Amino acid sequence: MKRRIFGIIFFSVLVLLGDRLGGWGLSKLVDRSQFRYSRLYQESAEAEILLLGNSRGLSFFQPAIEEVTGQSTFNLSYNGMPVDLMKILVEDYLERYPAPKTVLIDITLCDRFNEQLVAGFGPYRHYSERLDSLIKMSDAKVWWAGRVSHLFRYNSEVFQRALYYLGRSDEDWLLDRTITPGLIETLAAPDYTFVFGYPEETIAILNKLVKRLQQSGVQVRLVINPYFPSFRDKMIGLDRLKEQVEDITNQPVHDFSRAVEGLEYFGDFQHLNQNGSRVYIDLLEQKGFFNSENSVD
Amino acid sequence: MVFNSLAFLIFIAIFLPLYFAIRGRLRLWLCLVASYFFYGWWDWRFLGLIVLSTLIDYSVGLRLEQTAAPQLRRRLLTVSVVANLGVLGFFKYFNFFAESLKELLQQIGLTADYNTLHIILPVGISFYTFQSMSYTIDIYYRKLKPEPDFLRFATFIAFFPQLVAGPIVRARDFLPQFRKDRQFEWDRFISGTGQVLWGFFKKVAVADSLAPFVDQCFAAPESFSSLHLLIGVIFYSFQIYCDFSGYSDIAIGLGRIMGFDFPVNFRTPYFSKNFSEFWTRWHISLSSWLRDYLYIPLGGNRHGKWNTFRNLMITMLLGGLWHGASWVFVFWGFLHGLYLVVQRVLGSLTDRLHQKMGTFPWLRNIGNLALVYGFTCLAWIFFRSPEFATATKMIAGIGTLGDLSLGSVVNKFVVLKGVILIAFLVMVELANFKYQFGHLSLRSPAFRMASFALLLWLIAFFGTFDSNAFIYFQF
Repeated sequence: MKRRIFGIIFFSVLVLLGDRLGGWGLSKLVDRSQFRYSRLYQESAEAEILLLGNSRGLSFFQPAIEEVTGQSTFNLSYNGMPVDLMKILVEDYLERYPAPKTVLIDITLCDRFNEQLVAGFGPYRHYSERLDSLIKMSDAKVWWAGRVSHLFRYNSEVFQRALYYLGRSDEDWLLDRTITPGLIETLAAPDYTFVFGYPEETIAILNKLVKRLQQSGVQVRLVINPYFPSFRDKMIGLDRLKEQVEDITNQPVHDFSRAVEGLEYFGDFQHLNQNGSRVYIDLLEQKGFFNSENSVD
Repeated sequence: MVFNSLAFLIFIAIFLPLYFAIRGRLRLWLCLVASYFFYGWWDWRFLGLIVLSTLIDYSVGLRLEQTAAPQLRRRLLTVSVVANLGVLGFFKYFNFFAESLKELLQQIGLTADYNTLHIILPVGISFYTFQSMSYTIDIYYRKLKPEPDFLRFATFIAFFPQLVAGPIVRARDFLPQFRKDRQFEWDRFISGTGQVLWGFFKKVAVADSLAPFVDQCFAAPESFSSLHLLIGVIFYSFQIYCDFSGYSDIAIGLGRIMGFDFPVNFRTPYFSKNFSEFWTRWHISLSSWLRDYLYIPLGGNRHGKWNTFRNLMITMLLGGLWHGASWVFVFWGFLHGLYLVVQRVLGSLTDRLHQKMGTFPWLRNIGNLALVYGFTCLAWIFFRSPEFATATKMIAGIGTLGDLSLGSVVNKFVVLKGVILIAFLVMVELANFKYQFGHLSLRSPAFRMASFALLLWLIAFFGTFDSNAFIYFQF
């Protein structure tokens, strides 16, 4: 009996030690990654232009912006990025770096809260108390599970991407496919509509984010990145979002949702590809959006 | 309540110490109440169906024993079979047959204007009705004495570890186990825990990790490349295997900890070299049930070639229908019936071919494995598809081999993770053939600790913890 109790204790210690050791090893990999959030917390992400959005925000293609502006850029956008998580990441950025001159925000990141993605930021929770609290608030079970098991913190797509970018930069990735004719045909259906829904609380968070940036002396530009024009025509709700954001933030929202035309510029209805991104960035540059001194209103 | 939920962990943490703390009838009461609680957690209203099935088969069993007249015995058996299949038929198949009839009538130009009913399918109904029915059938054929103790019989029907998704146990094997008061045994605890952990790994780490990719493929096959769809089908073959065999492992492991022995339900089915072998390795408790209570009573292989083919087809078609009220399941059963028939027809031909290829038996084995796995996957496409159109799109998409890129996969790590998990699973199952991990973990404490710890780490690192229900719950 004594031996069995000793065995159980030994086993528990073994599991815990292995878990902590594994977690420590994985955290070292995350530290060495070139993934944008690793760089953010490794303090190698200082930039003059900060770019914020969800997957559509990735069309703020960093290499092209740097080329046309000559300024350093840093893109914090991610697939399905919710505004509450973005706010935390920006606050962490401002805590670690001098404030950027300009921040571009694609306001369509207000389209959702994303508890799953927030939980997926487990690999970075030990860098930021704010992030840790957001995970706890978003899903207490996940937060507790991450306390019990450090390996569990790395059980997410975000970690997989950090691993993927261990030896390479993530700055030069953008959709390289072109929208298919088959997909476009689906728009022809007379009853086709796309309802752009959003939780209204997200706008209040966006407002706080804007104010926080402005307090730091940042020129904030609110924009709507391009959609595939025929798809944009079938969208319901985007104009309402624009109006509400303008009302609450007291900032103009620059609507580029119909600014790029042509099949060859889109990867799908909601995302520009590399060619489209280039066209869009040239347009932003012409209008002076990357220059913090310019008034574009 | 599902095994992969926090509620179940709390439930079992309370139940097990209580179970070993008490003895005799009190323990039986505990098992029955816990089993009803476990089932009622999902929807307490359907407990009535289990109780009804229990009452009918308990009474019929006792009456069958007291009655010698063949005609009355037959009537009693009919009562049991009709009651069980009636409940199953109403809850599971009523709408299916009503809709199918409506479509048929419309096709021949008749108008059928009636509405189907809004019926909720009770979880695990196909499992416990088959288990309960086999009890009366065995008594009818005098293979089993009825259980006089109602409490014991009710616990046998509702026993929570295998209530909702099997293994389907036979009364003659399982009821006697309730007569013995089980003591806590360390070795059983160890091997049971090992099997539970392995089951959890299969379910939460493998099956649930593969599920999103598979769901995406079957939701819109036209949007994906040939390679993407092919990977989707391969992933599904492992998803369903790990989901279902994972459940069985957890059930068998829990049973073992409590002192019960359930039958093995899966024996590495994808290592089968022919389709007959596949059905002795896949969902063994169902295939043996269908063999004993359907195929053999139909005549089995005793009355010539054509009757054997007919019996095989009937058994597999009904086996398909058992899985779900949809023609795609029936077609899945038809395909497996066809495979078995074709295998018998071509058997002598391939035997001769194999004799000529005798110098390369390993090549023959690999070829057979690949063939059986490939055709099994083809059948899985129909099993997984919500309708025939989806299956056709999947097959057309894969068949054209038009695009062998993975361009549309947003995160290629999903594929890599799936491949790593499947490779690990296959390696462990292969190694288990040789080293018998169950025995090894009992003999070697070091191996036991290392393997249990590894499983816990892998579950933490790869697991999906959304309390996804087991696929076979819907059957």
